[in-house]
Amino acid sequence: MKIHSILIVDDDENDQFICEYTIRKFDASIRVIKAFDGAEALDILHRETPDAIILDINMPVMNGFEFLDRYAEEFEVHAPVVAMLTSSHLGKDRERAMQYSFVKSYFEKPLQADHLRTMADLLGA
Amino acid sequence: MTLHWSWQKANVAASLWCIAVGVAMMALWLSQPVDLAERHPFLFGMKFNAALAFTVIGAALLLATRGFQHLPVLMMAPVFVYGVLALSQHLLGIDAGIDTLLHTPFVDIGTSLPGRIAPNTALCFMLMSLAVGLRAAQMKSSVVQVALGFATFIIAAAALIGYAIALDFAHDWIRFTRMSFQSASCFVALSIAIVFVGTEQTGYHRLTLAAVLGLLTYLILLAMSYYELARYEAAFGISFSTNSNDPRSTLSSLVLISGTLYGALIVHLYVSSRRARRMAADLAESRGQLGAIIDNAVDGIITIDERGTILSVNPACMRIFGYTPEEMTGRNIKMLMPEPYHSAHDGYLSNYHRTGEAKVIGIGREAEGRRKDGSIFALDLAIARLELAGGIIYSGIVRDISERKANEQALIEANAELEEFAYRTSHDLRSPIASSMGLLTISRDMLEDGELTALGQTLQRMEKNFSRLDHLIQNIITITRNRLMDEDDQAIALHALVSDAIEALSHLEDFKRIRIENHVPKELTIVSKPSKFQVIVGNMLSNAVKYHDPKEAAPAIDVRAFRYAGRMRLSVEDNGLGVPPASRHLLFKMFKRLHPNRSFGSGLGLYILRKSVEALGGTALYEARDKGSRFIIELPDGELP
Repeated sequence: MKIHSILIVDDDENDQFICEYTIRKFDASIRVIKAFDGAEALDILHRETPDAIILDINMPVMNGFEFLDRYAEEFEVHAPVVAMLTSSHLGKDRERAMQYSFVKSYFEKPLQADHLRTMADLLGA
Repeated sequence: MTLHWSWQKANVAASLWCIAVGVAMMALWLSQPVDLAERHPFLFGMKFNAALAFTVIGAALLLATRGFQHLPVLMMAPVFVYGVLALSQHLLGIDAGIDTLLHTPFVDIGTSLPGRIAPNTALCFMLMSLAVGLRAAQMKSSVVQVALGFATFIIAAAALIGYAIALDFAHDWIRFTRMSFQSASCFVALSIAIVFVGTEQTGYHRLTLAAVLGLLTYLILLAMSYYELARYEAAFGISFSTNSNDPRSTLSSLVLISGTLYGALIVHLYVSSRRARRMAADLAESRGQLGAIIDNAVDGIITIDERGTILSVNPACMRIFGYTPEEMTGRNIKMLMPEPYHSAHDGYLSNYHRTGEAKVIGIGREAEGRRKDGSIFALDLAIARLELAGGIIYSGIVRDISERKANEQALIEANAELEEFAYRTSHDLRSPIASSMGLLTISRDMLEDGELTALGQTLQRMEKNFSRLDHLIQNIITITRNRLMDEDDQAIALHALVSDAIEALSHLEDFKRIRIENHVPKELTIVSKPSKFQVIVGNMLSNAVKYHDPKEAAPAIDVRAFRYAGRMRLSVEDNGLGVPPASRHLLFKMFKRLHPNRSFGSGLGLYILRKSVEALGGTALYEARDKGSRFIIELPDGELP
């Protein structure tokens, strides 16, 4: 199924750039929304619910896990696909993230077209 | 001590007895009560000379007891000479003219010659005057004195007992001369004093001496009875037995058997008393050892009864709990426990008594104790149940493990920090590389598409990634070097150091825009480790520059330093971005970046600052200003090598 909008939550400007470029290249019609930490992301999610969220874990102010806790607690409607995107795999982090029902995938940086394809498949499922 | 004192009293008593008897007898002789002499002739058995001699001996012993040395010896000389002369009169059959030299008796009670003393009395005078003279001269007891006292005692005691059992030979060694009972009593008193006072120096035990004295006196008396019997048989030609058996052999057998029995009994008593004494000494020794072990133990040792009442505590408990032993004994053990143990302990005890199910007894575990000042600390507790003759008691060994616990906690924290460090570095080290890999793929696309302007920007991003990685690695090197480097304290001129640190930042963007002022007094110095100190000041300043507010019209940084309460207080304040209240608890923590949109730091800066300050024995603080931040470090002076 086609993805219409993706929220990228990452503090790193370069990673934001890579994500945006990769998404445009994958499907230029996808609307990209950017947040630089968890708090900013929550603000955006109060206004709209995107089809997918790409979430970094290590961020200042509010990290990925703190964001997931708040997102699970404060929201009744969640984005259909939430994918973690992180620079290193550590078993603990993956397990912890996958406990949230709306977390569907766990990717390692940098973001690639294959990752987006997986997310589109998940959205259709 | 008290026992010793009482034996000294025996000395005085013997002296006084001799003096009293002597003086009384002299008075009796001089007053010449003829009637009394006719009615009670035995009262006049002690001659005037003998009475005088006893008075002198008594006085001499008393003086010796009081510490006189020469006078008693001088007093004993004439008594000894008198004894020698009196004895030689009997042995040689001469008259030295001493019997009536001082006093002519007004009455004669049928003795050999008027005023002449018996040979055994004369011998005893010789022995006693010698013994008392030696005692005075040597100021202590000796083997010779004890031997003299022994001999005197046996002769005198035999005479005294002879009166009691009507054995004449015991006091009448030669017909018509007898040792009077007064003399015998005085000799017994004197010899007891000589034998038993001050035996500590000679090493004899009093009981042994007494037993041997008793045995010898008994044997002498037996021998005397035997001799007397033989004499009667010979004198009167009678035989005590009708058959042909010699009665003397029967008697001698009895003497031998009873003497042997008596002797064996005494030997047995002596041996068992010595064994008992040795056992008592061993027991006292081992009790003393055990007591010393308990008193000097590092661990607290407490005993309680079945109700929990404290029976005893050792000195270590005083150190551990802060109570004196008097404050603890007799009270319930609960006083040393914090809640919830305090309230639950009675329940534990009764539960244990009822079910016999032990939770701590015989097992040992970690628990908590409460000191007198109310503070609670971790302790190791081991309890044993002791079934004694007097009932059941419990002994507890208590070890203060608060220090060990604190070390454990510090170790756990250090380990957690290390784990966090490994996790964060693995993430932060890979993150610029992962990002660069993504950018590399994009660059290749751009190159293929001929988008050279965009490619240039992408390469710039990659460059930023690598400088970020380099910065992180430099920071990790700084942490490691700070941790490992061992440098000596030096006197540091603070103003110059701050000026150098400001100069070193001049390459930073925006440096020119910011007014940085060094208010540190020129003469101020601190004794500290220069490299660590440099890292600290550089860190504070670069933070202030990096996190200045771009919107601020006149960005400013002020560095101040002064001494306060023996410590150096250095502050760097700015009118920059400040730290949002919600993030302040993350300050000084590892890998925390507090300004997401300006996150070009590694997140290690303030962590390095705190670690360096702590390594110098100081503390790092943050104070929010109306606009901006104030970072403060407080450092003590180090020691110059």
